[in-house]
Amino acid sequence: MKFCFITFRSVTFAQNGQRSLKRVGIDTILRRTPKGLEQRGCGYCLQLKETVALEAVDQLRREGIEFSKLYRFRENGSGEEWPV
Amino acid sequence: MIYLDNGATSFPKPEPVRRAVSAAMACCGNPGRGGYPAAMEAVGRIYGCREAAAELFDCRPEQVVLTSSCTHGLNMAIQTLVKPGDRVVISGFEHNAVTRPLHGLGVQIAVAGRRLFDPEDTLTQWEDALRRGADAAVFTHVSNVFGYILPVEEMAELCRVYEVPFVVDAAQSAGSLPVSLGQWGADFIAAPGHKGLLGPMGTGLLLCNRLPKPLLAGGTGSESQNQEMPDFLPDRGEPGTPNVAGIAGLAAGIGLVRRMGLSRIANREHWEAKRCAEGLKKLGFPVFSGEYQGGTVSFIPRMDCEEAAGILGKHGIAVRAGLHCAPLAHESAGTLKTGTVRISFGPEATPEQSWAFLQAARHLL
Repeated sequence: MKFCFITFRSVTFAQNGQRSLKRVGIDTILRRTPKGLEQRGCGYCLQLKETVALEAVDQLRREGIEFSKLYRFRENGSGEEWPV
Repeated sequence: MIYLDNGATSFPKPEPVRRAVSAAMACCGNPGRGGYPAAMEAVGRIYGCREAAAELFDCRPEQVVLTSSCTHGLNMAIQTLVKPGDRVVISGFEHNAVTRPLHGLGVQIAVAGRRLFDPEDTLTQWEDALRRGADAAVFTHVSNVFGYILPVEEMAELCRVYEVPFVVDAAQSAGSLPVSLGQWGADFIAAPGHKGLLGPMGTGLLLCNRLPKPLLAGGTGSESQNQEMPDFLPDRGEPGTPNVAGIAGLAAGIGLVRRMGLSRIANREHWEAKRCAEGLKKLGFPVFSGEYQGGTVSFIPRMDCEEAAGILGKHGIAVRAGLHCAPLAHESAGTLKTGTVRISFGPEATPEQSWAFLQAARHLL
């Protein structure tokens, strides 16, 4: 299954995001951001299914919840930023 | 013991608070640092506290900076808004947690409103002081000595009208009266976690409508390559490992307060304070009481106030005497030389507590 990461500058922003997405039925996993994705060092992200990623981004924007970037991972493990 | 020193701290801590502290100590790692289950457990509990506080105080979770005390929060707020030489307006009932930081910064302090239980006078003096120009204002919601509930909403409105940034000290009101960051528009509101919110000592909150100036710099678990403190809330105000067990207990305490309901708590405290005030008057003691009063009452015994508190203590009543770290408030009330004996009720206030206190007070005659 393909999955995505939405990265955040702080764990609190990520938790705000998780709560917001839960309210609209999008399940996520709160986890540390992989070092390779983190440009400023240390952060948290939400892992979610690729199929709901764009809907999730819309929801975060609607609620004014700051996030950094969206990344998409392929089945072979390679990933890339998904500009949104 | 009948505990009537809730103005100092709530005691004993409710069982759910103690359980939450104990559970956190057993299962929480360092939050914001690792991704393993114990660290994530701590992350969840801290966010739970922020969420509970945000709902109680009408703000967003990230606006809740977790501090070690109300004093910590007040210092952060004052250091953010005030610089040496500024003119700062304060009420006549401020605690040393406000006046000492201001004194340390070398500001011009304008004291406005010194009459107890007279909100009209407070507002008149407050507006007059703001009209003369102010760089910042700091005011308490409720006097820790006399229980006077200041007209905080109107004072906040005047600050907004005169475009003066302001800080509210909710040390004695958080957990018993409505406190709203959103409605008041305060730059900061500071509150202790261990008084009306029923949490452990060593906890507090700073509600922020703007970025605070950090009193400490250090690790936040975020943006580690940036050598400046993060420019976002709450991380900017929270360097170092937080008091996870205390915060978990605070979350439980806030939960209890919300379940009990602010109006029920306020009513209980107010009526028992009033009952004690009337009883003390009948016994012939000078008592400070009025219409706009919370669950705290001060009186002057016919002996040294510390001696009186000691006698009450021997009869099983725990109260606080002296100046209560608020010499300005005593100066305003004319009790700086004598001090007072203060009784302060908590959310579980009962008529039986008041009757027991009044029985013990007869030993002061």
